[in-house]
Amino acid sequence: MIINPSLQRKINLENEMSYKKLLSRLPDLIFQLTYTKNGQIVFPFFNKAVIDYFELSKEEIRTFNISSIFKSKIYESDFLQLLESVEQLNNLDSSWSFEFRAVLPTKGLRWFKAVANVEKSIDDEITLFGRMTDITEEKEKEIHLKLSEERFQFALEASTNGVWDLDIKNDRVFYSSQSMKMLEFDEADIIDTHQKWDERIHPDDLDDYQSAFNKHLLNETPFYENAKRMLTKTGKYKWILSRGKIIERDDKGFPIRLTGTHTDITELKQQEKKLLQTLEIINEQNGRLMNFAHIVSHNLSSHTSNFKMLLDLIEEEKDTGTIAEIHNHLRTSSNALSQTIEHLKELVDINTGVVQKKENLNLNLYLNKVLSVLSEEISNNKVKIYNKIPKDYNVSFNPSYLESILLNFTTNAIKYSHPDRVPEINYDLKSDKGKTLLEIRDNGLGIDMEKYGQKLFGMYKTFHNNTNARGIGLFITKNQIEAMGGKVEVESKANVGTTFKIYFNNEI
Amino acid sequence: MKFSDVFVVDDDKIFHFIIKKLLLSNNINVEPSFFENGLLALEGIQNKMNKGENPPDLILLDINMPILDGWQFLEEFKRIKSKIAKEITIYIVSSSDNKADLNKAKEYQEEVSDYYLKPMTVDDLHEIFYK
Repeated sequence: MIINPSLQRKINLENEMSYKKLLSRLPDLIFQLTYTKNGQIVFPFFNKAVIDYFELSKEEIRTFNISSIFKSKIYESDFLQLLESVEQLNNLDSSWSFEFRAVLPTKGLRWFKAVANVEKSIDDEITLFGRMTDITEEKEKEIHLKLSEERFQFALEASTNGVWDLDIKNDRVFYSSQSMKMLEFDEADIIDTHQKWDERIHPDDLDDYQSAFNKHLLNETPFYENAKRMLTKTGKYKWILSRGKIIERDDKGFPIRLTGTHTDITELKQQEKKLLQTLEIINEQNGRLMNFAHIVSHNLSSHTSNFKMLLDLIEEEKDTGTIAEIHNHLRTSSNALSQTIEHLKELVDINTGVVQKKENLNLNLYLNKVLSVLSEEISNNKVKIYNKIPKDYNVSFNPSYLESILLNFTTNAIKYSHPDRVPEINYDLKSDKGKTLLEIRDNGLGIDMEKYGQKLFGMYKTFHNNTNARGIGLFITKNQIEAMGGKVEVESKANVGTTFKIYFNNEI
Repeated sequence: MKFSDVFVVDDDKIFHFIIKKLLLSNNINVEPSFFENGLLALEGIQNKMNKGENPPDLILLDINMPILDGWQFLEEFKRIKSKIAKEITIYIVSSSDNKADLNKAKEYQEEVSDYYLKPMTVDDLHEIFYK
């Protein structure tokens, strides 16, 4: 095909015209920028879109001094940087782009992005052909996203909670740095599977955890929640509360992704434990108070009612001999009342800690001391003593309580020895579930535990026809042991013997 | 007089004396047998029966006693009750107004007819013997 050159020219011209038309009607802002040899930046071309883009006033359109327009609308620092970036273009650059902010009369702050091809003329002039677009919306989204990401990151770091994200399909878990820190791991430690985490769960808590987790997987619970003990890097156990929820399922509805949090509740658990202990103490003290009320109603009122009845009698009585007899009974009642009050005072002292100072005492030494005090009774009754307590064992106890307790159990064993055999008393140190206990075993009369077991340690309880029995010893002894944080148990069989077990509490 | 053969079961000897004097000064012509604990009282009942005598018709029973206390006595009494042809009235006489004791007495409704609180008064005795 042969082209007529004159025709060709005409078409080009027409094209040039239509290009200009096209250009002027394009909604995008098209520009040409030239960086002249002598270091000036000029804008030889803008299409009409510049009017809308930069909200040019009539006056600005008339004079159309583009550099003064830009200076007045574009952020000063951004404009200076724009010029600078053009000046820095070198021979090798073929494209250029720049983002800048402008403040417009009605639209306010807008973000623009200029993109251009770089062309170099033979005489070293640099010309940019390009377009500008309003990227305010994208920019706002970007800033917004960045902000919320920063916030999330900050929340992750600042929160004491850890975050986990389980990808079931690929069997991968992400544990946030806080989760890792809970178990004393740092970034260098890699825990990225369920298994590596789960193997640190306390064996006793494993079943509960698995059942809670499976229940959520099977949709039986709206979310998963489980508290368990977990082994840290240094071998301690911490209570970790884990909560989570399925956040993604496959086409068939099977869960493929779960995410959730970790919270270290060790302190909470410790406080819970303390609270329970406090409750136990309160219960115990409540029990003692009830016991005290019972003692008062039984042992104090019996004396006061005697007074009342004896006084009623004395008012009506004329016979001097009988009056003297009533007086005698009044005196006896008065003495008994005083003694009961003494005992109650002693009991209150024990329970309120007036004399509760604990010391580290050598058990063997104290037993020998008590045995020497009782040496006469021991030899008179031909009692065989077997002291098997190690010489180096110490208990944390009040010294006078320890003496009183050992004295009481020993005298009891002698007092209630069996008439048909040589009395034997064994003192042994044993351990039961990690607790140390002193066992005092005799071969005496023994007690019918079914009948008297519950009352053995009660106040003024006697079980044998023994005129020396006052029934106060074991009651005081029990209270002393309990005041020291220990406890006492008894095993006995009538005609076989009795074993007392004294548990010590060596925590100070 | 409702009762003529009376057992007083109480470990307090002063109370024995008081009962004796109260009966005497109020012309209640009864000579009670006194026992210091539940076991001795049970033996007393047994002895009477062994001798072919009638068991007592009234027992005034204290709660707090050594060896066998009031409740234990009642437990034992439940067991031998069927062998006793005669009706025996039992009143608890105790200084305890403790709720635990009052409630426990209700568990022995079959055996215990009433609960008297010490100090015992002349009115109480009149009620027991005349009403």
